[in-house]
Amino acid sequence: MRITSHQKNYVQLEGVNKTFIDGDREFHAIKNVSLKASPGELLVLLGPSGSGKTTLLTLIAGLLSPTSGSLSLFGRSVEGYSNKELQLLRARRIGFIFQDFLLIDSLHVIENIAMVLRFSGMKRSDALTAAGKLLDQFNIGHLARKLPSKLSQGEKQRVAVARAIANNPELIIADEPTASLETSQGFDIIKLLHNYAVEEERCVIVATHDLRIADLADRVMRVVDGEIQEECSGPIAEINQLIVVGS
Amino acid sequence: MRSYSAKILTGQPLRLAITIAGISLCIVMMLFLLAAYHGVANGSVEYIRKNRSDLWVLSSNAWNILRGTSILFTEDTYDIENIPGVESVSSVLFLLTGIKKGDQQATVYLTGFDPEAESGGPPRIVEGRSVENDQEIVLDGAFASKFHLSVGEVIKVRDTELKIVGLSGGTNALVIQYAFVTLHRAHLIVGYPGIATCFLVNAEPGADLDAIADEIKFELNGVAVYDHETFLKNNIQELQTGFLPFIYTIAAIGVVVLTTILSLLLSVNILEKRKDFAVFKTLGSPRGFVSGMIISQSIMISLAGCLAGVILYFPLVNFIERVTPEISTKTSFLQIISVVAVVLIMSVVSSLISMQRLRRIYALEAFS
Ligand SMILES: Nc1ncnc2c1ncn2[C@@H]1O[C@H](COP(=O)(O)OP(=O)(O)OP(=O)(O)O)[C@@H](O)[C@H]1O
Ligand SMILES: [Mg+2]
Repeated sequence: MRITSHQKNYVQLEGVNKTFIDGDREFHAIKNVSLKASPGELLVLLGPSGSGKTTLLTLIAGLLSPTSGSLSLFGRSVEGYSNKELQLLRARRIGFIFQDFLLIDSLHVIENIAMVLRFSGMKRSDALTAAGKLLDQFNIGHLARKLPSKLSQGEKQRVAVARAIANNPELIIADEPTASLETSQGFDIIKLLHNYAVEEERCVIVATHDLRIADLADRVMRVVDGEIQEECSGPIAEINQLIVVGS
Repeated sequence: MRSYSAKILTGQPLRLAITIAGISLCIVMMLFLLAAYHGVANGSVEYIRKNRSDLWVLSSNAWNILRGTSILFTEDTYDIENIPGVESVSSVLFLLTGIKKGDQQATVYLTGFDPEAESGGPPRIVEGRSVENDQEIVLDGAFASKFHLSVGEVIKVRDTELKIVGLSGGTNALVIQYAFVTLHRAHLIVGYPGIATCFLVNAEPGADLDAIADEIKFELNGVAVYDHETFLKNNIQELQTGFLPFIYTIAAIGVVVLTTILSLLLSVNILEKRKDFAVFKTLGSPRGFVSGMIISQSIMISLAGCLAGVILYFPLVNFIERVTPEISTKTSFLQIISVVAVVLIMSVVSSLISMQRLRRIYALEAFS
């Protein structure tokens, strides 16, 4: 496991709070969260349902703005980005993996991949060529002309990862990527993401309530009721300790 | 992402088919209205257009022959003939009159004209020949087929029998059809010899028309004199004030219905695919991307509707004209182009309306 604290941070949260206002009810979903994420590491946000993991991820992606505290992305405060810049940031520098993958059902697999390349500004023909190559790299070239609804969970998972890394983004945000997978497939996707983080010097943040996959993380942060309760890096022993704490 | 738009549409074939059918019917309706209007316009003023005269003389209270009562005296034509530069003058008398055949009766716009003169008769003979004596009548072709009358048969006006010797074209004004008899017969029918509705004046080549018009007005009291173009314009204008508001209202309803159908389909499609749109937003789709997709969907449906509408239109109009002969339509390429243009504009409007839905789809929905 690599310690990457000496490197610049892609993501940095300092005392971030997020309060949802729903009619006259206020809900304090994120409480005073500080965290950093750097290139070359896979960071897991581990917590039970409703603990605020997704909220945290969407804050990091610039899709939500914090109620208070400071949040910077790629060394620059999120407030400083214009909407257009945030859109380009998501198109070019951040990859996304959703729970259930959310592939676009009406588009062929290759078009699902080409789509994000087009968002980042590539021409249609180039995007299709690049998407084809990427599918080959993932050994799923034969799925190019299939519709997502015709794929198995494991195949969908590969397509989802291919879509997330198509633009070679510096940051990948994955929300419950293993939720709909069997254990071994869950491990596969995390391994893929971990390799990407390490080999390409990229940063991957995974939110999950699945303790098993925390095994493969460089760092695990435990989220409970909107707060970061514990942080530990790497080795399984500590993770196990977390399991004890969590149960 | 044209393929995405197309696939969203074809993903619900029944819904797509119903929408295209609805739109194409709106298009057929608009095309039909336009064509019917042009048919009426043509049938109302073709008489004037074809009876090209240098000057038209009427009582000064009337400026057209469609709506207005003008009474002149045929003896005044002698005064006009004597004006230098005038070549010929003929009188025409229009009467709204009933005609009978057995126990059937109907009303025609009876035109009494001088068969010897070069103008005043039917603009076009489609069957048989024009009127030559006082015992003959020419009927509008559509009128004749509506009442199952044909050349050679005899009809009655008052108690006089008149033989149908010909059928005319360009004489169907939808609400009324022209018929033609001699001026003398018309006088007998109305019971006032010596009156006319208008005079058709032709000048010698090179004569000064303004001078002749002034002279006519000076010689005859209380008349108005129009050159051919002005008179034609007057009649078209009269027709438009009567018909256009009605046509526009129905066409506007068609446009609203079309826009509603289209917006409804687009909005339903958007809501059904809201997760997709949330994903597009999260993945950083550029600003115009999703809107462009909605617009292209809308245009695709509209074009399909236009195509279906135009294909449907011609057989339908044929059928309508066969069943109701008094409806005569006139379709031009320009009309089709105009309707297609209106539909395309409205399809963009529909997409703008349905795009309001998009605003309330948030990127965050991809995470829920
Ligand atoms: N837009 C919102 N308005 C009000 N409350 C919200 C909103 N979004 C999230 N919440 C609340 O914030 C809390 C945290 O939600 P969040 O989705 O971040 O949890 P999570 O850890 O991702 O849960 P899960 O594991 O079920 O996905 C929840 O109690 C949720 O109800
Ligand atoms: Mg969640």
